[in-house]
Amino acid sequence: MSTKQSTYRHVVDSFKTALGLGESTLETSLAERVVFYVALGLTLLITLFPFYYMALASLLPESSLYSLPPTLIPQDLTLEHYRTVFGPETFPFLTYFKNSFVIATTTAGASVLVATFGAYSFARLDYRGRGVISRGVLMVYMFSGILLVVPMFQVIVWLGFVDSLASLFVTYLVQTLPVSLYMLGNYFRSIPEEIEEAAIMDGYSRLEVIFKITLPLSAPAIVAVFFFTFMIAWNEYLFASIFLQSQSVFTLPIGIEALSSSFRQVWGQIMAASLLTSVPLIVMFTYLEKFMVEGLTFGAVEG
Amino acid sequence: MATESTPTADDTAADAVADAADLSSDEDSEIRLRGVTKRFDDLVAVDDLDLTIRNGELLVLLGPSGCGKSTTLRMIAGLEVPSEGSIEIGGEEVTETLPQKRDLSMVFQSYALYPHKTVRGNLAFPLGKMDVDDEEADERIRRTAELLEIDDLLDNKPGQLSGGQRQRVALGRTIVREPKAFLMDEPLSNLDAKLRVQTRSEVRSLQQRLGTTTVYVTHDQEEAMSLADRIAVMNDGELQQVGTPKEVYENPVNEFVAGFLGEPSMNFLDPDRLTRSDADDSVARTGSDGSVVGTASDDPFAETATVGVRPEDVGIAEEEVTTAEEAGQRADGGQAYEIDGEVLVVEPLGNAYEIEVDCGDDRVTARLRDRPGAVSPGSTVTLRLPADAVHRFGANGEVIG
Repeated sequence: MSTKQSTYRHVVDSFKTALGLGESTLETSLAERVVFYVALGLTLLITLFPFYYMALASLLPESSLYSLPPTLIPQDLTLEHYRTVFGPETFPFLTYFKNSFVIATTTAGASVLVATFGAYSFARLDYRGRGVISRGVLMVYMFSGILLVVPMFQVIVWLGFVDSLASLFVTYLVQTLPVSLYMLGNYFRSIPEEIEEAAIMDGYSRLEVIFKITLPLSAPAIVAVFFFTFMIAWNEYLFASIFLQSQSVFTLPIGIEALSSSFRQVWGQIMAASLLTSVPLIVMFTYLEKFMVEGLTFGAVEG
Repeated sequence: MATESTPTADDTAADAVADAADLSSDEDSEIRLRGVTKRFDDLVAVDDLDLTIRNGELLVLLGPSGCGKSTTLRMIAGLEVPSEGSIEIGGEEVTETLPQKRDLSMVFQSYALYPHKTVRGNLAFPLGKMDVDDEEADERIRRTAELLEIDDLLDNKPGQLSGGQRQRVALGRTIVREPKAFLMDEPLSNLDAKLRVQTRSEVRSLQQRLGTTTVYVTHDQEEAMSLADRIAVMNDGELQQVGTPKEVYENPVNEFVAGFLGEPSMNFLDPDRLTRSDADDSVARTGSDGSVVGTASDDPFAETATVGVRPEDVGIAEEEVTTAEEAGQRADGGQAYEIDGEVLVVEPLGNAYEIEVDCGDDRVTARLRDRPGAVSPGSTVTLRLPADAVHRFGANGEVIG
């Protein structure tokens, strides 16, 4: 059994045991269980409350939105905000959605492609300066985004990408690659080298080995990298707010921000738009999660 | 398969088993290493190694971990390139040839199966790079699977198999190629003891049926003894001795080889502590079979720094002194040395007794078939070391005589 899988099992089992749900006969006292339930409850409250309030605010009529104390249990609900958001005169939701989707998909795809080869070279190939390069790349990630805005803007101007989605593509790729390389590199290293050597002995070239053996085995990490990059590109606000000027190229976060800058009170609409923005990510995650959890190397080597 | 593996024995055995014969190769595949050295930065992993693996033989590279045996195998495979020296396979220079072009197949210690492929997919994978059509490929997979009795597992993934089954699949993946030679890197070390012994004899009989040149790496001397046509003992990157299991066991060239082979390992003693038995003196002078060990006046241990004797050769001298006549009837001809010591432990092993004796600075292990009555922890015994079972080593560790 692979270590990863067994660690995962172990964690799951210990939680089950602690909550008194497991088949394990290990005894947990009432006090212990209370501690775990309280911790669990707090975690859920803190993470889910903002989301709950966003959903709630998107459904409340304007009047109850601004009441004091705030409404937590809804009395009457309305879909009016959603109607406004989808109405093209105030908010071209579909254009923004399309822009966001295009930029997130292409960036995530490119990130996976570039990171695969880069990470493979960091993990497996032997060449001078490998250590410096692989660590140096990660250093880029240590800089705060705002520090990079001015230099990045100059690069974007020089490339002639101002006010186009290409500017975001370049920026997001540069921003996410360090982490993608790191994640994939670590995963490649966790694949036993002997499996690749076996394929080489079986007559396959290095490149064939990557495509036939390493990549299929790395599916969980590749999916994770794709999702990570997609999420960053989907949610990113800072660079988009600076590089984009015309409404036709706005992404969702910029669109939502533009909505609030009008003089009307539009919290309901903003919340409705925000909720609609999160939905694709949630759907995507639930679908992709199973690929990420599956430990495909299981059974490769004795264990 | 108890026969010695000679080319003729292989041929007849292969003829007898049609399937195996189909899978066996008969091209010349002698592997020759000349002055091969491998350095990793400052570390010399393999030092000036000269070794020939004969066509069709199973040669075991034996040594403790870090002795360079795996590195040697990986250089034959092409996964490492030697720093110096040359490697030939079947008369062809391959020192820097890519592993893909060498037509060798390898079993890894961890099996290294492709976890995302079924057993059939694993067996088919090496065939994908060879010039065989689908029909032939299917046929080869079928034959290999039957040979290894894994034909009912073909649609399973490695994760669903037991350790022993994975082992077989790994073997199958090497056999299906019909390569020039098999390279095996500690293939049995992950199996439990019982399965290991069973698989060991299967590997042996399989190799004899196929008659394929095989290089087998292990640190387990018992495995080496039972599998090998010849054993190459390595230590610290240097080749110590090459020979049949019998040769290296009975005539080790140095202390290392003597101590590494055999379980429990050979006892090493200071020669000055040994005394000659009376029987020895009398018989040595008459020289019953002409092999005179030496007379009382000339010291047989003149140059000797250490003497070695295997536990199974150590006997216990009886309390009542035997007559010269009785001594003469002993298997060792009566020439023997003696040493006194205190018994520390008596371990019954079922078919034998292992007795550990404290003889001053040295500890001696004796393996006896029967438990002598007087021996119990704390008692004093006189150990008897037959002269022709005593190995003499010089100060440099090399054998004398």
